[in-house]
Amino acid sequence: MKKSAIILLLGLLACTAAFAGFYYFGTAGCRGLMREPQPELAWLKKEFHLNDAEFARISQLHQAYLPQCRERCRLIQRQDEKLHQLIAQAKTVTPEIQMLLAERAKMRADCEAEMLKHFLAVSRTMPPEEGRRYLDWVENQTSLRGQAMEQRHRTAEEHHM
Amino acid sequence: MKPNKQEPENDEPLRALLRKWVVHPTLPPRFQEQVWQRIERTNVRPKAALWPALARLADALLPRPKLAVGYATVLLAVGVAAGSWAAQIHSSRLDAALGLRYVQSLDPYKAAVLNQ
Repeated sequence: MKKSAIILLLGLLACTAAFAGFYYFGTAGCRGLMREPQPELAWLKKEFHLNDAEFARISQLHQAYLPQCRERCRLIQRQDEKLHQLIAQAKTVTPEIQMLLAERAKMRADCEAEMLKHFLAVSRTMPPEEGRRYLDWVENQTSLRGQAMEQRHRTAEEHHM
Repeated sequence: MKPNKQEPENDEPLRALLRKWVVHPTLPPRFQEQVWQRIERTNVRPKAALWPALARLADALLPRPKLAVGYATVLLAVGVAAGSWAAQIHSSRLDAALGLRYVQSLDPYKAAVLNQ
């Protein structure tokens, strides 16, 4: 009885140790990424197989882009708040609302153009194959694709079928 | 001494008396409940015997070296597979989260949608 209990216990211990060991070593890369100062850029380096020189250049581009992006975020937020106030007061589409809607559309177009410029600059810094893969990926992930609208239309079409 | 035996032909009055005798048995108190309790106890017994049976089986099989090695190997393989699988799931989730973080850092509209 004692011998079989020891064998049973050793088997379970081996199972637990194997699980813990493989989990620990399997997630070591993730823990390494999270320890980096900018984990999202470290992820980019890993995902698109960048060398140190490419990564340094892309980090520079990223840092240069961020202040402009923050400024555009601030302007977008201000426009949204203003539009919200105007809509709350208006009963019809006033010229002021119409002008603000046009400004918002222009802001979105400018923002998307700046984003695209940045993505193209980043993709040019990468090896050609990875650059193409990066462009495909950002196009799918960002608002460049207009996903929300496409999905709405797709859902509506499916609904009508 | 006079024999204590009676002749069979003289038993007739006794037999008639016995035929007339009616017994009215009374059940002990809570008889029915006790019967059900005994039935329940009988039903439970096979489940309780499962562990001793398993222990007997382990006692019989595990001390055999080949079976013990096989048992340890299977458990080790299960641990390795489960650990790798869990690590892969964790890594995929983190990859997706970091990708999203990268997009959010560059796309004001994605950041705005996600912050709502």
